[in-house]
This record gives sequence, C-alpha cells and structure tokens, in this order.
Amino acid sequence: MNKILLYLIMLPSGLWRRMGADVTQLKAILTVKLKMDDRKPLTMGRQQPNKKKKIKYASTVAFILSFFVGFMYIFPLIVFEDPYLKLFGLYTMLTVLLTFGLVTDFSNVLVDTRDKLIIFPKPVSDRTIFLSRVLHIFIYFFRSVFPMSLMAWIVWGILYGWEGALWFPVPLFFLTLMSLFFVMGCYSLLLKITKPEKFKDVIGYFQIFFSILVFTTYYMVMPQMRNQEVFQQFDIKTISWIRYTPTYWLASCWYWVQPKAAVLAGTGWLSILAVLTPFIMLWVTVKFFAPSFIRKLSAIDGVEVATPKKTVKHEGKSKLYIRLANMFNRTSASKAGFSIAWLQTSRSRAFKMRVYPGFAYVFVYFFYLFLNTNVAFADLFEKMSQTRSHLFLLYMTSFILLNAVSNMNMTEQYKAAWIYYTSPLESPGRIMGGAFKAMWIKYYLPFVIVVTGFVLYVWGIGALIDVILATANVTTYVLILMYLGNRHLPFSMPEQMKTKAGKAVLKMLFAIIFMGCMGLAHYAIYFVWLKVLLTFISIALLWTIWDGYINTSWKQLKIAEDAY
Amino acid sequence: MEPIISISNLTKQYGDKTVLNNINLDVYPGQIIGYIGPNGAGKSTTVKVLTGVIQDYTGEVIVAGKNLRDSLMDVKRMIGYIPELAELYDLLTPREYLNFTGTLYGMEASVIEERMVKMLDSFGLSENIDQRMDSFSKGMRQKVLLASGLLHNPSIVILDEPLSGLDANAVILVKELLQRLKQEGKTIFYCSHMMDVVEKVSDTIVLIDKGTIIANGSFAELRAGSGESLEQIFSKLTMADNLLEKAGSLASAMTDNTNTQQL
Repeated sequence: MNKILLYLIMLPSGLWRRMGADVTQLKAILTVKLKMDDRKPLTMGRQQPNKKKKIKYASTVAFILSFFVGFMYIFPLIVFEDPYLKLFGLYTMLTVLLTFGLVTDFSNVLVDTRDKLIIFPKPVSDRTIFLSRVLHIFIYFFRSVFPMSLMAWIVWGILYGWEGALWFPVPLFFLTLMSLFFVMGCYSLLLKITKPEKFKDVIGYFQIFFSILVFTTYYMVMPQMRNQEVFQQFDIKTISWIRYTPTYWLASCWYWVQPKAAVLAGTGWLSILAVLTPFIMLWVTVKFFAPSFIRKLSAIDGVEVATPKKTVKHEGKSKLYIRLANMFNRTSASKAGFSIAWLQTSRSRAFKMRVYPGFAYVFVYFFYLFLNTNVAFADLFEKMSQTRSHLFLLYMTSFILLNAVSNMNMTEQYKAAWIYYTSPLESPGRIMGGAFKAMWIKYYLPFVIVVTGFVLYVWGIGALIDVILATANVTTYVLILMYLGNRHLPFSMPEQMKTKAGKAVLKMLFAIIFMGCMGLAHYAIYFVWLKVLLTFISIALLWTIWDGYINTSWKQLKIAEDAY
Repeated sequence: MEPIISISNLTKQYGDKTVLNNINLDVYPGQIIGYIGPNGAGKSTTVKVLTGVIQDYTGEVIVAGKNLRDSLMDVKRMIGYIPELAELYDLLTPREYLNFTGTLYGMEASVIEERMVKMLDSFGLSENIDQRMDSFSKGMRQKVLLASGLLHNPSIVILDEPLSGLDANAVILVKELLQRLKQEGKTIFYCSHMMDVVEKVSDTIVLIDKGTIIANGSFAELRAGSGESLEQIFSKLTMADNLLEKAGSLASAMTDNTNTQQL
C-alpha cells in the first residue's frame, strides 16, 4: 500500500521540483519515514520478533474499523434531496473529522524535531523537508480517508450509476489536500506568533481546545439532526451563502457530471475553485511558510542549557503527590509507581493531549443532557429527578478513568524504562498498582466527588447507593480491562502510529459498549437491598482482581508486552 | 580470595546467532575490570545478563556467593548500573528522578534526599536540581544517571561508556571517583571504547570478541613487554586484516568511483 501511494505521490515530481524541492531527496526521506512508521520499536531487553502477520492483521482491523465509521457519512446522502446538498453535507462532515484527526493525531509528525541531527545538517533544502512532512502526513491521511469514504462511495454509485462512482474519488483528493493545508496554515501562523520554546505547549493546548470545539459542535448539532423531515424539505436556495464555503466548491464538482441539477448560480465556476484552491494553498505554504517553519522548528528543543523558567517548585515533603503516595501505598515499589505516574501525567504533552479533552467531553455530555430535555430551567431539576439519568452520568465518568489508565503506559521515552528492569523489583505489579491508584485519585476521584455532589442535590440521598455501586463497578471494570489487556509498566511502551492503533481503538470501543451495558443493567435494578448486595460483590471482585494485578510477575508482563 | 562475580560457561543465543559463547570470568572485590571489545562483541549482552535484564541464558553467574538466577533481587540490590545512552524520564527534575529510582531500591526518603543533594552538588548540578531535564545537555543527563546508579551505595558498579558526553573536567572527576570507589572496596565493571582511559583505570582488562573472551589480564600482562599501547593490542587481537590497509581502501572507495564527484 505504501509503495503504491509513494509512487502516486511522486508522479507530479515536476510540480515538487518547481516548488523548490529536490525530488530524489524527497523520495528518499518519504521512503525511510514510511518504513520507520511500519516498524515496531523494541522495548527493554527484547529482540525483534518476526511478526509481519500481526502487523498486517492490525492494519486490516484498522481498515474494517474505518469502514464501519464510514457508515456515518452516508447520512447526508440519504436525508437530502438535492445532490449538491448531499455532497455539501458529506464533505463538511469529512472535513471536520479529517481536520480533527489531523490536529490530534498527526501534529507530532508535523512538528517532529528528531530530524534535527539527521536531516537538518545534510544538504537538504527547507522546502524539501517541509514538503516531505506534508506528503508524509498526506499518505497516512489518504489511507484513512479511503476506507472511511468507501461506504459513501458505494451509496453514491448506487444512486448515480457508474459515472457517479467514477467521479467520486476526485473531489475527495482535493478535500484531503484542503484540510491538510488548512491545518498547516494554522500551525505556520502559530509558529509565527509564538516563541519556539513555547510552540509545543501552544500546539498541545490548541489540540485540546480544537478537540473540545469539534466535540461540542457535534453534540450541539446532533439533537437537530433527529428530525429527518426538516432535511427532506430543505431548499438549497434558502442557504445560498454556502457557495462561499470550500466544501460547497468541492460539491460543485458534480457539475462536471450533472450540470442541470445545479440550482445555485455559478456552480460550474465554483468547481474550478475546488481544483485550484488546494494547489494555491500548497504553493503559498511551501513558498512563504516553509523556510520560517523549518527555521523555527530547528529552534524548538534547541536550548541545550537549562532554562530557569522550567524550574519546578520544591517544597520538600509537603508536596501533595508525595504525601498521597505515602498515604495510599505501603511498599516502596508502589510509592515509586504512584509518583512516576503522577508526575509524568502532569508533564507529558502527549498524555495531556489524549486524556484532557475527555474531561471536557463529560461536561459537554452533561450540558447536552440539559439542552435535550426541552424543559424550562426552573423545572429542570424537578424533571430530572423524576428520571434516572444520574446513572448515565455516573457511568460516563468511567471514560475519564479508562482514558487515563490506558494512556499512562505510552511514551516516546519508553527506553527510559530500563530502570525498572535493573531495579530489585520482585514483581512489577506493585509499580503498576501504585500507578493505577495515582490515576484513580488524580483524575477519577475529583470527578466522582463533583458528580456525587450534583446527584445528591438533584436526586437526594437515596441515590447514594447508586453512586457507590457505580463507582465500585467502574473501578472494578477498568481494573479488569487493565488486568486482561493492558498490563504494562507506567511510561514503558512506545507510542504507535495511527494505522497500527486500530486494535487499540477497537478495544476502547468495546470497553465503552460493555460499560454502557453495565449501566443499563444497573438501570434495571430497583431494589435497594439488591444494590447493596451487588456493591459488596463488586468490591469483593475488585479485591480479587486487584490482588492479581499487583502481583503481576515479570513473566506475565513479558507476555503482555509481546501481545502489544 | 573469593571472586565477587563468577561467570561460568555463560552462553546467550538470539535465534541461530550466538552472542555470548561460553564466557568464563572471575572478578574480585575492589577490582576495576575494563571490559572492552569491538561493536557487537557481546559487551552489552554480558551487562544485560549481570543486571538481570536478560534472564534466558545458559551457564551460571554467581554474584557475592549468590546465584543470579535464584537470587535475582539480592543481586540487583548489590549492583549500580549506569547505561550507555542517557535514557531517562526527562520531564522530571533530577530531584524527582532520583527520588523515583531511590524508591525503586527501597531507600528511605531522607537518605535519598541527603545523598542526592551531596552527589548533584559534587557534579556541579546543585542549581539544576529542580529543573526539568528535557533542557539538559547530554553530559548533564549522564551526571544524573551516574548519581542514580550510585545512590543506593552498591557494592558493584557497572558502567557502560560512562564518559560519553562529559566535558574534560567531568571526565577527570569520574576517573577520580572510580579510584575512590575502588578504595572503598567496590568492584567496578567498566565497559568502554576509550582505550586510554581503560588502560589507565583498570586493574584487569578483559577483551571480548564475537562472544568469546580472547584476552584477560592486567595491562602489563597483555602487553607482555612488547611496549604496545592498549589500542594497538586491541586492534591486533580483534582485526584479522591490517587496519592501515582498511583505512586505505576506505579512502580510495570515495575516489575510485568514476560517477562520484568531489563535493
């Protein structure tokens, strides 16, 4: 797959040359980058096993997953009448989600500073480096766009015959480019206005902000989408302003096949804009942004001497995490696990990026619950207390814990984990247990406290048993998941590329579905005595699994690492 | 005197490849062992076995009378390891990192604090003790690693290229430190490519090539009156062909090719 895409990418080599890139170097860089992405990094003390089949399997899972996610995109194709409106809806959805994916998953590739010692000192021009990064991301990007839009492609083929099917991938190609350069533009602008040493932090916060924005928009729009009749009566003329949006320009490419169906004036002309825009954006970014981008990139992490700004306040034993570590852990190993997980999660940009937006998701859901009720604010709590939606809220918080514990093992600095292997640790389980406690106390507990306060206020003291049962269930369930499929030392596993992460996404998806089932089961129980009984059973189960988890042996750890 | 480390018939294979082939070695307390060999000779694998990272080996390793396989934790407690590449969790400060590693060795917080402050002060890092290490130079990180390896006061210190990235003053400091540790009766297992340093600091030099020990003795014994430097002895024992000839063919490789232009 990589080879074919690389071949296709290098087809317009004249264009790349014209933009100031050295085509031979460009191809060499891309070949190496793609090869490296496909290789699994080695963890401590292990030889590279021959696992070609397993990698292929992971890619297939990722493909199937993207294909099913693609079902979502046929929605606008079904609900709208006008073909241009169908396409406008599809492209808008795709653009938002692609941009989201680009910002969250590929920022590290774009601002990767590891090339500083390898490629930067070689006689490679700024434009070649810049273009290699853009095209590297484009290849990954297109690889996920293809399976994602496959379903929509099939539907379009059914609706408009072979002509439609043949035409379908063309605007998608432009769309991918547009999304890519939009994000590139944003990043170049960010680089221009921020200091290099601050850039990575700014990017991190930008990513978190952007994720929350997309998620919020999605859930604010979702309730409106339920009414299908609204869509079917939708007239494109009433929203003629859409002709100024790039996604409509892309939709207007349909003019090449069905010009008569176009309602808005100038649709044919707008299709030219769809073709030209990505190339203009490409030219502008490469011509004007590339040199400063690379120069600034070289300055990131370029400070070799300690900067006083990054000094961490030291207040000896009074530090909160030390006090908590001592309070909740008995062994040195679990204290060490607690401390490292607490500190690293506060500082790791990648961890914050993956976990922090989740906090906002819970709040957004929370407000979504409010907005969805269509009840006056004064009666809202009264109305809510008559339902049992507090259970939904209680089980929602599991997302926080699940997200935190499943991300605390991954790091770019997985090689630093040698220290665990050379230390006198009888079993690595104690470290893992300490780290789990840290995540529970640091991320899950504050949420549970806030939610409990709210639940008790609205639903009364009677809901306390629900809070206790749900908290016990969530903790037990997440621990079972860690015990069965994620037994790793904190910050010891290499991060994986998006394409290899299919299995992880699938795991997470199933985890959330099962959690939902558990919530539903809880919903079905009315007897308080049964809830009390189940709470005891849940805590007993937690106790048993916990014992197994903290006694994880080195051998079991190795098995888990091999399966990673 | 009983050897503190006794390795007998140590063999390690990765698939068909034999990385360590029947290693036999005795190291005595208070000795500095210079463990040298060309790239891929098996030095790091020996170190990984000694530090307990690799456990699927054949043969026997006895450390201070304890079998490594049976008393892995006891042996690990005795060893302080300083790895070659400055890999550490650099988002932490030296204080936090050393607290973490000290805790892994089961040390009391007050002891860690006291020793760490003294050590970092000696390394000239007292001002950086609460700064995140992601902005540290390689040498600064190496100093933190040295401190982390010595923090629990090990009786055996294994150093893998400990001088890499250190400035001239720090190199003098570490060399002096090695002598002081030796005086305190600690055993030092020193892996390096820096022949001049190995020649000066080691009591015994062990030369390993293709997974086999090909020389073992003091520098004087290895030289056997020939007047050669350790570097010369090393190349004589590990290279089948003449090095000068190789250098010549390397240089000509750049000029012989008719397609290559001078840049």
